[in-house]
Amino acid sequence: MAEQRYFEDVEPGDEFNEHWTPTRESVIGYLTVGNAEAGNTASRFTSDEEAKKIGMAKAIVPGAFSMVMASRVVADWMGPEGKLHSIDVDFRRPVLHDDTLNILALVTDTLEDDGVPTVKLDVYLENERGERPVQGTALVELPKRG
Amino acid sequence: MTTEATFEYDASVIGVEVPIGTFDITPERVAGYLQATGETNPLYTDEAAAKEGPYGGLVVPPGILQTVSMAGAPNAKVKFGNFSMHSGQRMEVVGPIRVGDAISVAADVKEVYAKTGRSGTMVFEVRRNTFRNQHGETVAVSEMSMVHRQAGGG
Repeated sequence: MAEQRYFEDVEPGDEFNEHWTPTRESVIGYLTVGNAEAGNTASRFTSDEEAKKIGMAKAIVPGAFSMVMASRVVADWMGPEGKLHSIDVDFRRPVLHDDTLNILALVTDTLEDDGVPTVKLDVYLENERGERPVQGTALVELPKRG
Repeated sequence: MTTEATFEYDASVIGVEVPIGTFDITPERVAGYLQATGETNPLYTDEAAAKEGPYGGLVVPPGILQTVSMAGAPNAKVKFGNFSMHSGQRMEVVGPIRVGDAISVAADVKEVYAKTGRSGTMVFEVRRNTFRNQHGETVAVSEMSMVHRQAGGG
């Protein structure tokens, strides 16, 4: 079982990150989970040509895929007994296929809301061009020691 | 259609849930999702380890619900500006999801509102999806924000 993180061990300012490069194959794999035909249909998410028609440099990554990747990084950090309550992101720029991304999270607050040990985080995706195409917040619950 | 200041939309769809269908949590779908996201968390991947975890067995990453096709979801048909884009996404996780669950999906338009800032007026449409398991329990709620605006300084 992955390492468990406890509420008492977390402080505002704590940071963690993970790298991610979304490939055409992974985007098609993601889209195909909910729609078996998605991988066979040319769209801005799967085809450079289609993406260029709407002014993009190349095929783009679905926004929800970027969000769930950020949630995955947060879940890995929490450990098995942590609970992700919510994640909320804004899309500032497109994420392109093969971007070299750094998914970062920063603890901004710890509080015991109605006795529930809660941690607030900022989450970001940064690309190799120094941009933050995705940014937002997450709210998680961590167990207490003992 | 409702007219508010400078934009129009179909207010009749606000808060009216429309059933979209059922999304079966099959082993094949879960395997595809784990592969696409590179997921290795033992809660989702290791049956023996997950038995020792908080859910007493394997669960499924809630993000899998973000892959559901929302064809047929209501649309407020906002008439404003000449450009629209997916501006935000929100996911609230309410309960665990397991392989074998049959998740019913319902969609509505939560709200339509305008904001005016330095770059002008933008109109936001928030589309909401509610996911319930075969016991009628809500397992997740997601929201997708679309922004409509006048591109090119208008």
